[in-house]
Amino acid sequence: MTAAAAAADDDRTLVLATLDGKRDAFDELVRRHQRHVYQLCYRFSGNHEDASDLAQDVFVRAYKGLRSFRGQSAFSTWLYRIGVNVCLNRAATRAAAARTVPLERVDHADPRGERADAALVREERAAEVRAAIARLPRKQRAALILRVYHELPHDEIADILGSSVGAVKANFFHALANLRKLLGGS
Amino acid sequence: MRHLTDTELLEAVESTAQTASQHAPHLDECAACRADVEALRAVLARTAADRLPEPSPLFWDHFTTRVSEALRDEPIPSGAPWLSRLQRPLTTWAVVAAALVLAIVTVIWRATLHAPSPLGSYTASSTVGSTSPATSGDLPAPRADDPDTDARWAVVRVAAEDLAWDDVHDAGISADPGAAEGVALELTAAERSELARLLDRAMKRNGV
Repeated sequence: MTAAAAAADDDRTLVLATLDGKRDAFDELVRRHQRHVYQLCYRFSGNHEDASDLAQDVFVRAYKGLRSFRGQSAFSTWLYRIGVNVCLNRAATRAAAARTVPLERVDHADPRGERADAALVREERAAEVRAAIARLPRKQRAALILRVYHELPHDEIADILGSSVGAVKANFFHALANLRKLLGGS
Repeated sequence: MRHLTDTELLEAVESTAQTASQHAPHLDECAACRADVEALRAVLARTAADRLPEPSPLFWDHFTTRVSEALRDEPIPSGAPWLSRLQRPLTTWAVVAAALVLAIVTVIWRATLHAPSPLGSYTASSTVGSTSPATSGDLPAPRADDPDTDARWAVVRVAAEDLAWDDVHDAGISADPGAAEGVALELTAAERSELARLLDRAMKRNGV
């Protein structure tokens, strides 16, 4: 059994334990997946505060809907699906596409010895990329984030987004093509 | 010259050793496709290079606690497990629809058993267990309660023809062990008497 398969089995055990009334089991599921869920939410929201709120919302929804998890896909896949839906719905209501990370709020940056102006340029370029991603259509954005930042295979992304592998590849390709236009030669 | 399709371009951009060799001959020949692949690779590399700021290690403990507190007043997750079964493809909905039709027709049929039947003259005159054909024609008239010949059962027969047992079972609408006994125990005395009469007649008809 691979490590991934063993982890998936462990997740299912924790899900069953949660349904059996053991709250600690769900806490363990949160601990296991919080980093990925948070990072997903950060990619969609563009800032720490919203990412924290969205990630919490994802886990609350997962808990409430845990009964509907049938184990046909990995728990992480199921969680990603909730995460993408939560983020896209929130983005739609907040028009988050227009938002970018103001440079003065990038307080987590750790120059790690590099010159301050180099760090500034790096953050500026990162902000440009995030702003360009935020302008992509929903499915293209989701496909790009899951593929590039979560390194998921196309078939798992298709499972998460409820579409075909072909559609995922098409969305990812068009996302890259659009980013090429949006980022231009900068 | 045919250029690479979007899918082929993506394969080249995300190239592994296998896919790279697959499109390499074309890319060697075609400057336009080569330029596209290089530009898209540059975009992908620039996008992937963006690393998120890592929250403080304390954040994760805080986050777990925060979620736990948000769920403190929530009941243990519950809900009808069969609801999740409804989130299935069209075949499931077809099975459910067929089951609903079956249930409705069954109710109507049971109601008509106690009402004067339009075929009452035949039904009344037919002898239980009789093997002789009807005397009024060459072909026996349909039995009012025979699902194989009764026109009122046609809709059920048509719906059931396309049903596979696995679909019915997966949809959770198949009978559980002991379900028949359970239903029988819930019948009223009159219904139980009617059931006994029908069973008796069916057994005699089949020579049991």
